[in-house]
This record gives sequence, C-alpha cells and structure tokens, in this order.
Amino acid sequence: MIRWFTSGFSARRSRHGLWGVPLVIAVALVAILSLGTDQFATRENLFNLVAQAMPLLIAAIGQLFVILVGGLDLSVGSIISFSTAILSLDGPAVVLIPAVFVLAAAVGLINGLVITRMGVHPIIATLAMQYVLLGITRILRPVSGGTVPDLVIAAVQGSVLGVPLPLFWGIIAVGLAAKILYGSRFGLHLFAIGGGVAAGMDDAASTYGIRVGRNIVLAYVASALFAALAGVFLAGRIVSGDPNVGLLFELDAITAAAIGGTQLSGGVGSLHGTVLGAIVLALLANGMNLANVSPFIQTAIKGGLLLAIVGLQSRKKMGL
Amino acid sequence: MFDGEPACLIEMQSISKAFGPARVLRDVSLRLRPGSVHALMGENGAGKSTLMKILAGVHRCDEGRILKDGKPLHLPSPREALAAGISTVFQELSLLPNLTIAENMFLGREPLLLGGGLDRRRMRAETAAALEELDLKLDPDQLVSTLTIAERQFVEIAHGIKADASVLILDEPTAALNAADVEVLNRSVRRLRAEGRAIVYISHRMDEIFGICDEGTVLKDGQFVATRAIRDVTPDGLIAMMVGRELADLFPPRAASLGQPVLELAGFRATPRARPFDLTLREGEILGLAGLEGQGQQLIMRALIGRHAPAGGTLRLRGQALKFPSPSGGIRAMARLGLGFVPEDRKEEGLMLGLSVAANLVIGLHAERPAFAPARRLKAVVQRMTDTLRIKTASPATPVAALSGGNQQKVLLGRYLAREVKILVIEEPTRGVDIGAKSEIYALLRAFAQAGGAVLVTSRETVELIGLCDRLAVVHGHTVVADLPAGEATEHSILAAALTAEGVAA
Repeated sequence: MIRWFTSGFSARRSRHGLWGVPLVIAVALVAILSLGTDQFATRENLFNLVAQAMPLLIAAIGQLFVILVGGLDLSVGSIISFSTAILSLDGPAVVLIPAVFVLAAAVGLINGLVITRMGVHPIIATLAMQYVLLGITRILRPVSGGTVPDLVIAAVQGSVLGVPLPLFWGIIAVGLAAKILYGSRFGLHLFAIGGGVAAGMDDAASTYGIRVGRNIVLAYVASALFAALAGVFLAGRIVSGDPNVGLLFELDAITAAAIGGTQLSGGVGSLHGTVLGAIVLALLANGMNLANVSPFIQTAIKGGLLLAIVGLQSRKKMGL
Repeated sequence: MFDGEPACLIEMQSISKAFGPARVLRDVSLRLRPGSVHALMGENGAGKSTLMKILAGVHRCDEGRILKDGKPLHLPSPREALAAGISTVFQELSLLPNLTIAENMFLGREPLLLGGGLDRRRMRAETAAALEELDLKLDPDQLVSTLTIAERQFVEIAHGIKADASVLILDEPTAALNAADVEVLNRSVRRLRAEGRAIVYISHRMDEIFGICDEGTVLKDGQFVATRAIRDVTPDGLIAMMVGRELADLFPPRAASLGQPVLELAGFRATPRARPFDLTLREGEILGLAGLEGQGQQLIMRALIGRHAPAGGTLRLRGQALKFPSPSGGIRAMARLGLGFVPEDRKEEGLMLGLSVAANLVIGLHAERPAFAPARRLKAVVQRMTDTLRIKTASPATPVAALSGGNQQKVLLGRYLAREVKILVIEEPTRGVDIGAKSEIYALLRAFAQAGGAVLVTSRETVELIGLCDRLAVVHGHTVVADLPAGEATEHSILAAALTAEGVAA
C-alpha cells in the first residue's frame, strides 16, 4: 500500500504514471481556495463544483481506455452533443436513454473498426467521426432546444441525504472503470497492447495470444459509451439538447488524462490519476471564476499547466 | 530411444517460406517426438527461427503443412498455436515492460474468478512457485522493466514452461545466461522431457546440445540437411553438416599485394580495463575483426566514427595523426576524410526505407553540400551504381523497403562507393542476405580493395571472415589477442586463439 502510494511520486518504473503530481496540485488548490476566498468552501459552491467536474471526469475516463492502447478519441465532444440532441427528441425516456447508449456504442465500433481494419490513424479516424456526428447533431437540433426526459433531470439535479446526486454518477463511473481496467482480462490486455506498442514491439501482445484488434475496438466502444454517459449527465444539467455543448470536450478529456500521468504513447496511466487530472481542471476553473480571472487567461493557464506537468514525466525517466 | 519409432507429436512437412523475393525456407521437414529434446541447428540465417515462428503461428508458411498427432493444424496466429499446445520462448525478448512478472506470466490465459474478474491471488501464487522452480528470488509484483536481461530471459522461460504446452520451443534460451543459469535451465528441460513433452532447442553452444538433446536437425541456407540422433554424431560432424558448402566458390581470391598503411591504431584501449593493442590496415587489404560475439569488435569499429569513446590510443589516417572523432559529428568528419561506416542494422541505422533507391544512393553526396543548395539529380551516379553493384530494382524510384535484403545491403554499400571513400568500416556485411547476394557482396568488397581501397569488417559468421579477409585480428576481452593470415585460419584456430589468450579481462 505504501509502495503503491509512493510510486505516484517517483518518476521511475510505475505503470500508473506520475499521479502524485495532480494530487499535490489538487490539495494545494483546495487549501489556497479555502483559505483565500470565503465563497469556495460553501455548500453551494461545492455542489456546483461537483456538477461541473462530473462530465469532464466521465469523458476523461473513457479517453483513458483508448490512450492506454496508444490511441486517441477526438469524437468524444460530438458524441456528447449528439447524446443531448437525442435525449431532447420527442419520445419516452425508456426509448431515448437506451438509444443514446446503443448509438454511442455503434459510433465507437465504427471508430475502432476504421482504425484496426482500415489502418487509419486514430486522430484522423476519430476527427472524421467528430465532423460527421457534429453534422448529424446539427440536423437533429440546429440550435439548442427541446426538453430532456424528467427522469434524466431528476437523476442529475438535487441530492440524497445531503449528498449531491452528481457525486453518485462519479462513483458509479469510477467503480465501473476500475472493475474493467484492473479487475478484468480486457483491462490487463489494454495495458499489454499499449506497453507493446510503446516499446516498439507492436506484435508483442499478439504473440501472447491476445486479440489485439478486437481489444482496441472495444476500447473505442468504451470511450464512446463513457462519452455518452457524460452527454446524458450534461443533458440533465442543461435540460435541453444543445449541438455545441460538447465542443472541445475531447481536448479537455485528453488534458485531464495527461495531467493525471497517462502517457499518450500507451501502456502507462491510471484511473486515479485521470480522476485527479479532471479534479485539478475543475478546481482551476472554479477557483479562477471565484477570483474573477478572465476566461481567456484561464485557457492560457490550462495550457501552461499541461505543458509543465507532462514535461515532468518523460517516459525514458520512468524506465518504461 | 528411437528403436521403437514412437509416434511423433508434431510433424512439419515440406515447409517453404519466402519474405518478398528472399526464399528463407525451402521444403523443410521436421518431426518432434514426445519426451525428447530436439536440437535445431544451422548457421545464422539458415532459417531456424523462421521455421519455429511458423510453428508458433507468428509467420504463415507458403507451402507445406503441420500435423499434430497426425491431424493437420491450421495456425493463422499465435493464439491458435497456443491453443494447440505449442509454447515458445523467443530469442528476442517479448515481455511487456509495463506489466508485472505475474501479469506477463499469465498474459493471454489469465485465471478468472467466478464473477469473471482476474484471479490475481492465484496468478501471484503460481508465479512465485514457478520462479522458485527456476531458483529465482523475484517478487511476482515487480514490473518487468525493473529486471536485468538475464532475469527477463528466465521469466520468459518460466512463461513458456508455465503454459502447460505439449510442445515447447526454446529459441536460443541461453544467450543471456551464465553457466550456472544454464544448469538451472537444463534441469527444467529434463523435467519437462520426463513429463513427455516435445522440446525444440535452438542453440549455438555445442556443449549444451550434447548435454541435453536427444536428436538434432540441421538446416543450411533454408534447406533441410539431416536429422540425426545426437549420440550418433560428433560436434565436428554436426559443424560439417552446418557449414558443408564449397567455400571456395563463394569467395573471390585474396589480395596479391598490399600497399601503404591507410589506417593505424597504436596503443588503442577500447575500455579502461582492456589491454592496449596496435592495428594497421593497408591499402588493398580486407581486415577482419574475428572472435566470439560481443568481445569488443563493435566498440573498436565504432570508436573510429565517434560512436564510442576509447580509453586511450592514437589514430593515424594515411600517416596523418588524428584525434578520435566526437559522437556528434564523427560520421560526417570521417566521411570527409574518406572513411565510410556501414552499420550492422541497415534498417534502423543505415537506410531510409521509405525513400527511393536513388535517394538512398546519393544522400551521401548531398550531405557534402550546403543545406540549402539545390539538390542535383545525379542521375549518372545512380545509373553507374545500380549497374556496377547489380542492384535488382524495378526503377531507381522504387522505395528501398521493397528490395530484398541483399539488394538493400548493396544500396547501402553504394552510398559510400558513390562518395568514392577509400576506407570502408563494415559491420556484418551480409546480415539477412541470401547466399547468392552474399557472394556478390564479397566480390564487390574485393573489387573495392583491389581498386586501392581498404576494408575493416566484423561478422558473426566466422566462416565469412575467413573466406573474405586477407588477415584476421582475433578480438577477445576488448583487445586484439592474435593476428592471423586469413588463408591459414580455421574456425578452430580462431576460437583457440581467443580462448587461450592470457592476461585478458574477459
């Protein structure tokens, strides 16, 4: 346990990446904001913070699956907007909600197949999907509007026994991802595939009898499903369908994973690091809003932070 | 043991395989019996590894078939081979550095709990037991990236053994192991044999083959030579089968006379602990650095182009004293002085595989000019080089990657010949090249020397050095321990010179 904990701070030889860095930053931000402002540590602001952080956290977890195999998913933002648009259509909740996940799975499947079967680079394949889905979403809902099912709104807004409902979304998403990444063969195979690719032995995993192509496809399906979950959550927050709500979400998701110590070359990264990465981004946004920092400067600071943190974690230094 | 002709477990019949235009296996057959260790022998490039990769499902054969217990096996990928009970310990390390020992051991066949999750406790326990069997004191939860090469090799072996396969392929398992480790390995191999498994053992070490193997199959240039019971053959007999081609046909005649010294090393020490030595290369001469693999031949050659900093000594090029080149500009500086370096790994270090034959040939000429000078087409040079080197290519615009190994090697040589260098320093001139192209490359190097050039060469194939060179410097413990005329040298005399050298830190 102690060894596991210290591995998050050592630059050497942990496949979880340097997740200790975002942990320190998150703790520091909480301390600074609690002491420095009196609006931060209020019940209202913390509720707000959790709700703001959640869609990014969920989408970043999905992104982690594909980054672990050395891929990237740029279609995440469009999947989120698309999901809100579907939910805002006329129809019963029992049809619309499953439809969102079925469609997202199909999107992930296409992404994965285009990458593994046609040999298209992940950036191009998912970038193309981003455009296609954005177009379809704007046909469905050119401007924001419609209303999403009450069930979705009720599941996102409000609290149970003083605990905000969004927190349960996060616990479920993290629990599910933990079970898949650390407790299943599929998760182990993702690390194996990514580790082989990063070490320049693309065939290594397949010599162990791992179905490399199939597992990569499933990683893109997982990413799309988590994006859809983030989309459903956002729809519950904004109560309507919005073709632009997911814009640039994929980049924030990648940023969160990278800040959390995930290596884009594959095989190194962790769920807890990714969660911490998302929390750091949320705290940063929340804190700078409280401090009335211009949103433009916020974006620039986010970029600087990303560079600084990723610069700390050279793969060579980690011996992996 | 063979009197009763026990049924064979695996039969590979008439296997043929080509990679592009290079035919690596021709009509090779192999029979593996249960409860026996089968040595697979042959020179480097004889096709041993390719044959085993076909059996492991990594490569697919072009012709021929594989039977297991008399039934045909279809092996489109390693997955099917593993399912058929064929487990491999590959020569190249294929462990995944970002997984723990236990995860690597069970990768692809992880034990599951009732709920479908990974049974990590069992993985850990069984890994610990398997490591103990091999006398390894390692924590199953350690990442493989933290292990030494020998430890990784053992984990790889443990993985192969653990697979509960009926056929175990060991492709040079002892390359990274010392004598004590080899004994530990042999104990496991004997136990597996007693359990009735069929084991293929690829090794270049004769003592291991005679210590542990029951029968052996010899391959030569991708063709089947013979299968014999090991107790019926002698080491010399085996070597004769592996080598047995008419060497005289393959190599051009040696130099009649030598000119002035062009490259002189004096008091050269490759490493601080190595004994100093002198070495002279003359005009018209092909000088080989011979000896066991990894004894410092590469360091000596690479010191000449600045890839290795020697501990001491002086360097003279055509009588002119020089400093040893620096790592950054060494290759450029030496090329300007007329010394060309052809690296061992032409794909990683030499050729630009995606570029055309023409571009690869003339890149050295472009490198001499200012960075923004317009690039001349140099068509005449390309034409002259493809003609004199007899490079078989559809057109000069064909990417080098599409050429056979032999033609790729000729392109790399052509790059230096086009610059009209006077000294060639070549590592492994015919690595991965088929026999016909080898002969052509030998002729090219000899013609280069005859025209006033000089060649310094290393090779893992001692036979090649003996045939090609005028003189051999035997390297052992990072120093030259003997200087032999190649015409009188034998594999035996070289080995004897290397191993009987005194006062050398190995």
